[in-house]
Amino acid sequence: MDFSLTEEQEMLKTSARDFLEKECPRAHIRAMMENEPGYSADLWKKMADLGWLGLVFPEKYGGAGMRFRDLTILCEEMGRILLPSPFMSTVLLGGLALLTAGTEEQKKEFLPRIASGDAIFALAVLEEDGDFWAGGIEVKAVGRGGEYVINGTKSFVCDAKAADYLLCAARTKHTANPEEGITLFIVDAREWGVYASPLKNMDMLRKQYEVTFKNVPVLARNIVGEVHQGWPVLKQVALKATAALCAEMVGGGEKVLEMTVNYAKERMAFGVPIGSFQIIKHKCADMHSAMEYARSLMEWAALAVDEESEDASMAVSMAKACCGDAYKKVCDEGVQIHGGIGFTWDHDMHLYFKRARSADTAFGDGNYHREVIAQSLG
Amino acid sequence: MSPSDLSKEEAFRKEVRDWLKANLPKGWGTPEYKAPESFTRETHELGKWWTKKLYDAGYTGFGYPKEYGGIERPREEIAIIREEMARVGTPGGPLSLGLLVAAPTILAHGEEWQKKRFLPKIMSGEESWCECFSEPDAGSDLANVQTTAVRDGDDWVVNGQKTWTSMWEFADFGLLVAKTDLTTPRHRNLTYFLFDCKSPGFTRRPLRQMSGEAEFGEEFFDNMRVPDKNRMSELNRGWYVAMTALQAERSGGGAFWGGGGLAMGGQRGLTSTVQNIIELAKKTKRYGKSAWEDPAFRQRIAQLAIESESMRFSGARMVAKMRKGIIPTNEASLVKNFQAEMRKRQGDLVMEIIGAYSQLTEGSPHAINDGQWVYAMLRARGATIEMGTSEINRNIIAERILGLPR
Repeated sequence: MDFSLTEEQEMLKTSARDFLEKECPRAHIRAMMENEPGYSADLWKKMADLGWLGLVFPEKYGGAGMRFRDLTILCEEMGRILLPSPFMSTVLLGGLALLTAGTEEQKKEFLPRIASGDAIFALAVLEEDGDFWAGGIEVKAVGRGGEYVINGTKSFVCDAKAADYLLCAARTKHTANPEEGITLFIVDAREWGVYASPLKNMDMLRKQYEVTFKNVPVLARNIVGEVHQGWPVLKQVALKATAALCAEMVGGGEKVLEMTVNYAKERMAFGVPIGSFQIIKHKCADMHSAMEYARSLMEWAALAVDEESEDASMAVSMAKACCGDAYKKVCDEGVQIHGGIGFTWDHDMHLYFKRARSADTAFGDGNYHREVIAQSLG
Repeated sequence: MSPSDLSKEEAFRKEVRDWLKANLPKGWGTPEYKAPESFTRETHELGKWWTKKLYDAGYTGFGYPKEYGGIERPREEIAIIREEMARVGTPGGPLSLGLLVAAPTILAHGEEWQKKRFLPKIMSGEESWCECFSEPDAGSDLANVQTTAVRDGDDWVVNGQKTWTSMWEFADFGLLVAKTDLTTPRHRNLTYFLFDCKSPGFTRRPLRQMSGEAEFGEEFFDNMRVPDKNRMSELNRGWYVAMTALQAERSGGGAFWGGGGLAMGGQRGLTSTVQNIIELAKKTKRYGKSAWEDPAFRQRIAQLAIESESMRFSGARMVAKMRKGIIPTNEASLVKNFQAEMRKRQGDLVMEIIGAYSQLTEGSPHAINDGQWVYAMLRARGATIEMGTSEINRNIIAERILGLPR
């Protein structure tokens, strides 16, 4: 396992950072906070033109045929700048689900449109309890001739208003094992009977919605993977998305560390920069340490997923627990070291603070993953 | 890297592996191998024997010019040698302080004759070294050294006391920082010397620590004479030499714990420690149930596993950097602190798992694992103090890595 970036990867990182700094300035982020659905179609198109949206799709589906590790480099940069966009939902969740389990027909129909920026996806899995687990899925899909009819309510759906399609996990069979009997459907988000209402979640740069399905018809050819066998597909997709989310978290956490250290160098109190006080130095040193170790696990997870190594799920669980804790910690200390200004709405610190929280709950928080680790260790 | 480079690397890896297999002490790495007790003459001799073997095979002495006994090899081979040594966990022993601290300091600041005389025998393990820095009133504040050296003819006469000296008992030579000017201000009044431990007026004795054993020593200088040619810095410039030595110790320590491939072995050890803790938790009944069933313990054991893996992969990242020719220096403070603080958390967790049995030490008929867990918990208290306290290392991280003002 080689932890150094190739020359191409270094270039991807630098060009992504330059692009995002130019295209996603502070004013854009502030505008998107107040905007519904919360992303810029122009910027999305530019990302498509750069080849980002189809980065890991094979060339025959309009992609660039690059590797998962490359994708996580982009995610890191997006997390660093808090890019408001349905990238995670569309590429990591929708796109990779289709790539993993879609039929040839589905891949041909959707992947090139994702790559060109013409199809946005959102994943509708979580329900009332908010946990990513099979037992929480009660939205029903009932077969009726050549189609299915979906009824029920999904919650905590990211980017639902931006989406052209929802990837919806619905129960098609009740068995003793909750992981059986779940089927994945591609639902047209503009279909009659699909209603998305904002949840007003704290992280305004990744808006979440409650989505209600009322007698929504879906053709059987829009089932992803086998009927009743959707959960294993979701687990595979979640593994990759979680690794990518860790990259985003490390990108964001490192940015917070930078902002905080710079502030500590400039902010004067009692006639000296506050960064000359040992208590501030030690907090910054601990923040740095937290991010370094989070990065190590994130890179391990990204490589393990990329190489489809057998310890990928252990790596991802460890990375997710560690990155979640580290990101929350640096944001907490970041706000504290910034003092009053860090507590204002106007300063960007709270945007990172809130992202750290929303990312921590997504796909299982630290407590969840530590229990997963305990189970597999003994 | 081209496929032919890869196969060349694999061939070399096999060569190193085979050599290790053939040359390590019989039974090494298996339960039938009984290691000599720490800090004894036997352990010291084992370290000497092993270093000589490594040296003769060309597996140590990297980074030093040939004329001083150094061995030249491509970076990739050095990385492989370290990885393979780490994989089996080779004997370290009392000689490492010579390689870790004395050699880099002599190379950077020594006179030509000193380099020629001392470096080759450090590389080959024939002579071992200790470093006499800390004093009862000069720990983190090393510039507060009170030991004096006063010029008398061609010699210097040394008086004072040093403490917390690692590998003190069997050292042949010592590095010494002493005050040579009683009037100039701090940092500009110290001079650096090399001395022979057989010199009259030099005595040493063990310093017993809270974990019960005497891993460190105290040294006393009572009119000990050091020839002026053994001075290693310009007069009163010893502080800067000492800084080189400390830097070398930490970055060497960093390479040992997190960096130079050795880490990979160290971390393998940690991971097996996590497995041992899980086994212990399964066997330990608390309030009628196995401790492993307690969600609070499960969370903390899993957290420990996360931390130990993050150490391992931080080591792998450092190796990746070293392969590109970037030598980690200040990062050592980071690795050192993380490792030391994790050792404490680990020790504390085990004590909580075993409950009342955390009170029983080695020799007690009911002590768990003959008190080794309790010993590790106690010994870990020193980990955050030695080689730069956690506080000093945080300063280094903040000032030298993050660039915060001094």
